[in-house]
Amino acid sequence: MALISPTVLALRRDPRLLKLPPYLSALLILVGVVWLCLLPLNEYSRHTYISENALLPGQVHTYFGGSEQNVFNAYKYEVKELAGKPQDEISNKLGEIFKSAGLRSARQKYEYQAAGITYTGENVYAILHAPRGDATEAIVLVAAWTNMDGELNQNGVALTMELARYFKRWSLWSKDIIILITADSRAGPQAWVDAYHDEHISPSVAPLPIKSGALQGVVVVDNALDHHFESIHIVYDGINGQLPNLDLFNTAVSIASGQLGMRVALQRMWKHDDSYRERLQTMLRGMVRQGLGHSSGPHSSFIPYHVDAITLQAVGEGGQDDMAMGRCIESIFRSLNNLLEHFHQSFFFYLLMQADRFVSIGTYLPSAMLVAVNFTIMAIALWIRSGRPPAPKLATTMPEKSSKPEVDVIQKDGMTAIVPKETITIHERQMFIPVSLVVSLHFLGVIPLYIFNNSAFETLPYYFLLFTMVNLVLPTALATFIHHQASLTPQQYLLLHSFSLLLLGMFLATLATLNFSLSLFVGLLSAPLSFIGNPFSGSVEPKDVFPSQLRKTTSSIALQLVSPPVVVSAVCYFWGTNVGEMLAEAAFGWKVNGLWMQVIVWCVWWPAWLAGSVLVSPVL
Amino acid sequence: MVIDRRKALLFGSATTLRLLLFFAFPSLPDLLTGRVEISTPVTSFKRLQEGLFLYTHNVSPYDGGVFHQAPLLLSLFALIPSSLFSPLTSLLYIALDLLCANALIQIAESGEAGSSRLFTSPRNELKWDGIAIGAAYLFNPFTIATCIGRPISVFTNCAILYAIAKAVSGKPMSSILALGLASYLSLYPILLLPPLILLCYDRQARDKKETPPISTFAIKYTSLFFATKVWFLYISNILTGGSWEFISSTYSVQLLLPDLTPNMGLWWYFFIEMFDSFREFFLGVFWLHLGGYVGGLCIRVRRQPLFIITTLLGIFAIFKPYPSLSDTSLYFAMLPLYRHIFPLMRYTFFAMATILYASLLGPAFYYLWIYAGSGNANFFYAITLVWSLGLSEIVADSLFAVLRDEWEVERPEMKGKDVRQI
Amino acid sequence: MKYSFGPLLLSLLSCSLVLADPDYHERLNLQPLTPASLLASFNFWSKASLQSYEEQHFKYIPRSLGQILQHAKTRELHLRFSTGRWDDESWGARPWGGTKEGGTGVELWAWVEADSDAGSFARWVTLNNALSGLFCASLNFIDSTRTTRPRMTFEPASVGTNASTDNLYLLHGTLPREVVCTENLTPFLKLLPCKGKAGIASLLDGHKLFDASWQSMAIDVRSVCPADGSECSIEMEQTVDMVLDVQRSKRPRDNPIPRPVPSEGLRCDDTKPYAGSDFCYPSDISNGQSWTIAEIFGRPIQGSCLAEDSNGNPLDSVYIDVPNEREMYITSGTENKHLSGTCRSFTLPKSEPFEMVLSHLGPQTFNDHTTPPLYASRSFTGHGQERGGVQTLLTNPSLTSSISFVYFETLPWFMKLYLHTLTARLSTSSTPNPCLIKEKFYRPALDRRRGTQLELLISVPANSTVILTYDFDKAILRYTEYPPDANRGFDVAPAVIRLLSNDKKAPVYIRTTSLLLPLPTPDFSMPYNVIILTSTVMALAFGMIFNLLVRRFVGADEVEGWDVAALKAKLRGGVMVLRDKMMKKGGKGRKSINSSCGN
Repeated sequence: MALISPTVLALRRDPRLLKLPPYLSALLILVGVVWLCLLPLNEYSRHTYISENALLPGQVHTYFGGSEQNVFNAYKYEVKELAGKPQDEISNKLGEIFKSAGLRSARQKYEYQAAGITYTGENVYAILHAPRGDATEAIVLVAAWTNMDGELNQNGVALTMELARYFKRWSLWSKDIIILITADSRAGPQAWVDAYHDEHISPSVAPLPIKSGALQGVVVVDNALDHHFESIHIVYDGINGQLPNLDLFNTAVSIASGQLGMRVALQRMWKHDDSYRERLQTMLRGMVRQGLGHSSGPHSSFIPYHVDAITLQAVGEGGQDDMAMGRCIESIFRSLNNLLEHFHQSFFFYLLMQADRFVSIGTYLPSAMLVAVNFTIMAIALWIRSGRPPAPKLATTMPEKSSKPEVDVIQKDGMTAIVPKETITIHERQMFIPVSLVVSLHFLGVIPLYIFNNSAFETLPYYFLLFTMVNLVLPTALATFIHHQASLTPQQYLLLHSFSLLLLGMFLATLATLNFSLSLFVGLLSAPLSFIGNPFSGSVEPKDVFPSQLRKTTSSIALQLVSPPVVVSAVCYFWGTNVGEMLAEAAFGWKVNGLWMQVIVWCVWWPAWLAGSVLVSPVL
Repeated sequence: MVIDRRKALLFGSATTLRLLLFFAFPSLPDLLTGRVEISTPVTSFKRLQEGLFLYTHNVSPYDGGVFHQAPLLLSLFALIPSSLFSPLTSLLYIALDLLCANALIQIAESGEAGSSRLFTSPRNELKWDGIAIGAAYLFNPFTIATCIGRPISVFTNCAILYAIAKAVSGKPMSSILALGLASYLSLYPILLLPPLILLCYDRQARDKKETPPISTFAIKYTSLFFATKVWFLYISNILTGGSWEFISSTYSVQLLLPDLTPNMGLWWYFFIEMFDSFREFFLGVFWLHLGGYVGGLCIRVRRQPLFIITTLLGIFAIFKPYPSLSDTSLYFAMLPLYRHIFPLMRYTFFAMATILYASLLGPAFYYLWIYAGSGNANFFYAITLVWSLGLSEIVADSLFAVLRDEWEVERPEMKGKDVRQI
Repeated sequence: MKYSFGPLLLSLLSCSLVLADPDYHERLNLQPLTPASLLASFNFWSKASLQSYEEQHFKYIPRSLGQILQHAKTRELHLRFSTGRWDDESWGARPWGGTKEGGTGVELWAWVEADSDAGSFARWVTLNNALSGLFCASLNFIDSTRTTRPRMTFEPASVGTNASTDNLYLLHGTLPREVVCTENLTPFLKLLPCKGKAGIASLLDGHKLFDASWQSMAIDVRSVCPADGSECSIEMEQTVDMVLDVQRSKRPRDNPIPRPVPSEGLRCDDTKPYAGSDFCYPSDISNGQSWTIAEIFGRPIQGSCLAEDSNGNPLDSVYIDVPNEREMYITSGTENKHLSGTCRSFTLPKSEPFEMVLSHLGPQTFNDHTTPPLYASRSFTGHGQERGGVQTLLTNPSLTSSISFVYFETLPWFMKLYLHTLTARLSTSSTPNPCLIKEKFYRPALDRRRGTQLELLISVPANSTVILTYDFDKAILRYTEYPPDANRGFDVAPAVIRLLSNDKKAPVYIRTTSLLLPLPTPDFSMPYNVIILTSTVMALAFGMIFNLLVRRFVGADEVEGWDVAALKAKLRGGVMVLRDKMMKKGGKGRKSINSSCGN
């Protein structure tokens, strides 16, 4: 770095430069948002394409149908008969059907505890050995007994059974086919895939008696309708916002729409006319799903294990019967069967705005990064500002310096130099208090994290209410406490702000690579933190550093409006769910699916918010 | 000796913290042992366990591709009863950390950093005392993570620190012995020999009036160093039942890099992607580059040998074949000795920010590559580049500060003015 | 004679046979398996006196193979080509007690005569190269990393030879990735005396063989020196075992696609309440099956091939395991039922084709298969490409007797095994039980030079399951060491299990399935970028530091250098000059610009 000329360093002392950062970071946030809104345009989004050549989607003729319909009807009848029966009876019947199809079946019991609720069930699965295969690779066909909405997935289960029989007759499979009937849509698949990789919690989750090879792909069938369906709704979000390989999605789309002429919907956008609004809406819905990162179907649990999975859900009323769905799955499986390598060619980071349009990470990442960078810029600005020498009359804050003479005579081997004191005194940054404050605030986040993940369902709303109350007074209390213990010098004030922003920026930048949407949302919600205090003044005079009472009150009120609890309740109100359910779902995700969205909320966002509010809350 | 209360407090708190981490979170040590940032193929504790297992079951651990560590460690760990293995090893590593801190405190209190024989900094009065420096080491998260992860590089670090501590306290003999041990445990400390000899020489020249000319001094202690090394090798030869195969399995692995497990350094990905015909050539170039700094620094910063060692440690932490967090923590342990030049450093905030960014993004990208499968190797590789840049920025900046400090002694009137280099 | 057919006697549970001793004999054993499969094991056995063999008089032993063996000084050879997997849950014990099958892909082991380890390896390499040419298989890829020297797992099948005294070396190699197909079958048939034109070999056709659910081709060559001192001989045995899915095989050649059967063709369970025109709950696939040889194999047997003993009496060469009450028809040849009542055999006619019909008349039952002595299944645990574990479940079905066996694994070098994590525990308990593993032989891998060899002597108590687990690290390779489909993963050879029986019975072998090991992959398109970027970073650091080391400091104001203020002043001056030049006369504008930029 010695390569940089000192004159550039001289610029650091330029007061005009110090005025710039607030505007700059505001600009960055603005650009970030605008960038996001530009994405749906044709110029920025791309048509999807299959980049794994082995897949050859829709290149094979599908034979499923004909007399299979009769067997399907019989199975459907059986499934309906079993509805509401005890789990054991269901499992027996399913096992019997598998056996009659000449397949080896096995069962797995599981039991989870989350938010005081117990989730139990039993998965039944069978393995169709590839005739010439050697149990090295497998593809999975899943049907949950009850789908995400808790309805009986009658057609899905019956179709899966029927397809198992049908696939058995083919000799062309190069990979084993695992047919899995899970008891429910969230706990069951998780238990199964955990046990498949021997990473399950024993003894509450049983191990799998029989196994096959490495899982190459998963297709979930969800059709609870009692009539012919109209279009296929593809659900693809995984846990923690991780997505399946785009190739799998494209394969499903091109087969369903291209080969079989079905309509394909995603993100619950039933009527998608190819307009900007619709695209933006689809994208935003996708981002919200990704940000929340909770399980959105049986497929979600597979994705963290680097097993690409999607759910095909039959929706609407139309002319497509179950045989059509069967042909769609048959064709997808033929494509998966062609795979030579594990899915790796296409994108894993993408935003879909339509069944055949997407933007890849390179295009959308900047928007989140810009938002994250704005915090870092402010942090740097505050750092530089905090290091600037105060005017001599500011000596009250640094008495030990004011006592010394203003000039200093240096005598060295004969020659004497008179140097103005100003340049020698090093304006040390007292960093200990700010650093320890920021760190301890971040550790404080562990408390709500623990409470909300380990308390019972019925108590959750009260805890939340309590937490909101505490959150209202906490900043003032902390500010008062700090004021009485060790009142912050202007410099420490700036440093505290700087470190908090630096950390926030850093976390968000990292998060943007793991879960883009979450990072963007948190970044936008905590954007006000960059502009609290007196961001536009460059000096370190107390009057310029500490905001006035009026400004303090206004900004602390403003901050309260974007505080985590308020935002959470607002979201719940908007979606018409109550907070208790939301928190219970989050706790379930935390316990069962390994969801870490809460960590971001309570250990990144909330502490940053708290630090900001402490800075601006009036001292009693 | 009288027990210093602050020191006791410091050591006590550091020990309790580590004990807490070891025993309150039983899964933490193995988790950290598995991290590539902490365990490298030549320092991994799990590989040590494997080697130990083979050694105690009469299979030569050096006739395999897993264990690349020095034989003395085997016989050391073989002494630990297997029933109490994990608690005793954790205690051992805690003790090692405390020893390192102790050595650091000695170095700090010798005041060598501020004023060596040939040079005394004008900012000499501005410094932290030994306890503070020891605390900076003991409570550095990198150090703690290293201690919990139990790589054997902790032994090397301890030996190096002791070599320095003995040198500044005017005991060249034991200092050289300690360095011999360090370079026996892992090859690279051999490069510290010249500056260490300078340090010993300065110390002796300062304390005693009559001193031998530096050339004879250097020859004497260099030969002593190599004698030590040969002796260690001989002992290990006896320990491994009179076979020399451990040499190829320990040192040539560090020289030739057959194991390309990812780490924070620059070597692994370079030699994954290197064309086979050029591999040997670039191995030579990389080692030459690593050794090249020694001469330059010894000449230019001759007046502050301790700083040469510090800078070299920083350079090792970047350009070693298998660098890990423990090397970084060693460098960050030595750096606070130069508290007085911090005001002259120009990029501390940026460099630290870079390092923090890298240490957050590194694990994230590694996860994306290895576990999520959604990112590829370039993600992690890019972060290793950023990390190395950040570290080298700090190294260069501290060097700049020291040189400017020296320069301001000649030109006191230039204090606080901008400088340019020509 | 007894020893030569020893394994065979074992395998055919019900068929006891009395044979004279010709130099060549072939037999086909058909064994219907539940639910709807048929095990067909072909066996071709030939022998020659050692003397004639050494004088290169080849009659039934094929010259091509014989000369290779002589050239490579190979005393005993076992070569296996296998695909698919034996489903012992539903098919029971393996044919020949598993002695005539190999792991998926190609497996080869041989006793080579040499005076040193190195010498034996050199001959092993020549043997592999020659065989890979002969069988069109990539056996030449069995290099030092794929070669092991098992200690306890294999024993010479030769009689009267002593491995230690005749300094024979056992070498073993596997190619789990190799795909066995027709190009390997053709040379295999060419080795037969009738070249697959006549005799039971005429049924061996690539389409059927490689459409089987499981198939294994084996070649065994061994030398036999009887204890009674009669002259030594060389025996060669070629075996083809396959399990055919009867339904699939009966599908006509011209219409192989399993279209849905027409509704009337469905076999429905009419007991169901809803049974009706468009509701059909399928009834179970019945154990009964009826077929003809032509249906199953696509053609009848084309006459016989040298099926006579030395006195010219015809020999039985087709056996089938069905109860004697079951109706069977044959076009020609003679049928004789065996006393056991569950097996019958046929002699083939000299020249005309032989067709056999297994009717669905008579009792539909089959001889129930024997339960295998051990169930073994192996799988990876954990996920991610950094490290993992292997878990093997070993179940002893016997209710009374415990069982002990040798568990032999050979792992590639980039799978870095941690032996100290190797534990065996009973499925009932969660704590490892050290006394389950009686003996360990471990040879660690050497990077790029040698694979891991692990042999364990394990005993499983009666009616219990032992879980064997260990951890390993996945090494990352140089980018030139990856195969073209790097992201598929690397195949790990099946584990070989040899059951030890205290009495002197022929050994029983079991093999697990192979595994697919995913390794972390670098970006293969990046070599230049990586070299450039890394070098840049190093150059940057080097530049920064040496820049500081070699240059000296001066005050910024003491030297002439570009400076923001100076630059601004200069620019302003230039603009001034330009402007008033413009003011005066615009004509010289350009020249003045140059001049102003010049200084």
